[in-house]
Amino acid sequence: MHIPDGYLDWWICVIMYVISAAIIAYSIKKIRGKITSQKIPLIGVVAAGIFAAQMLNWPIVGGTSAHFVGGALAAILLGPYAGVLAMTSVLVIQCLIFGDGGITALGANIFNMAIVDVFVGYAVYTAFKKYGSVAAFLAGWLGIWLAAIACGIEIGISSIFAYKMYVTVPTMAIWHGLLGIIEGIATMGVVSYIEAHHPEYVEVAA
Amino acid sequence: MKKAYVAIAIMIALAPLFAWAADKVGYSEPLENAAEETGAGEGESIFSGIFPDYSVPGLNPYISAFITGIIGSVIILAIAFAAKKLSKNGN
Repeated sequence: MHIPDGYLDWWICVIMYVISAAIIAYSIKKIRGKITSQKIPLIGVVAAGIFAAQMLNWPIVGGTSAHFVGGALAAILLGPYAGVLAMTSVLVIQCLIFGDGGITALGANIFNMAIVDVFVGYAVYTAFKKYGSVAAFLAGWLGIWLAAIACGIEIGISSIFAYKMYVTVPTMAIWHGLLGIIEGIATMGVVSYIEAHHPEYVEVAA
Repeated sequence: MKKAYVAIAIMIALAPLFAWAADKVGYSEPLENAAEETGAGEGESIFSGIFPDYSVPGLNPYISAFITGIIGSVIILAIAFAAKKLSKNGN
């Protein structure tokens, strides 16, 4: 779902940079003073784990592949604001060091995967937490699905995609709606394990 | 915390296997499908990073996936530990 350079019109790149920068700044403000210095390495460990998980491209018969994105997982483990920062650090490293996601599209990629996925994942998890581990599944699934729809809208209003939002949004929504089931299962698996063995590390449950 | 580091190490160790398996099925992502359906083609990269597309010059893609997995994880952890140090100094 990492948008490369050349896909988005310049004005969309600018708007997405501005929106993402504002939300990152707000997230830093929200956690400043509230987060202990002991917790900062935990953010790093979650981010490093998500980076490593994103390297694993699951091959799916039919020629499509997907990797875990992890925004909902970051939100559940760290809370939404620290989750935004963890996911942003992953996306910045991927872009600057590995050229994964275009530098002009970094604002949009952060918006989709570090903001939409994180806040939707957090909202869904808190809404369904009383129903047990299905909450983490729905958080992972719906988080990635809405992130994909956001991505579909951004490319769909760009000239290189011939403004065919009626093609880009359904394509992204249908594919990631299916692939998101894997994201949901993985999110549920990790959250269930941590809740059972290390509940102190689940921010939302605390 | 120790278990988390072990999990990260296992995922990095598996990266070459996944890179190979994804190659076997000839992989494309939904975003690439959308680009194909609308005739957008491939985006032109303005900046391709230090290790473009997780490749290390002179190494095959599978060993590259392993090495770049380590590099990326170490950088992210280093940033977090640097932030911890800075926050302690700030207090």
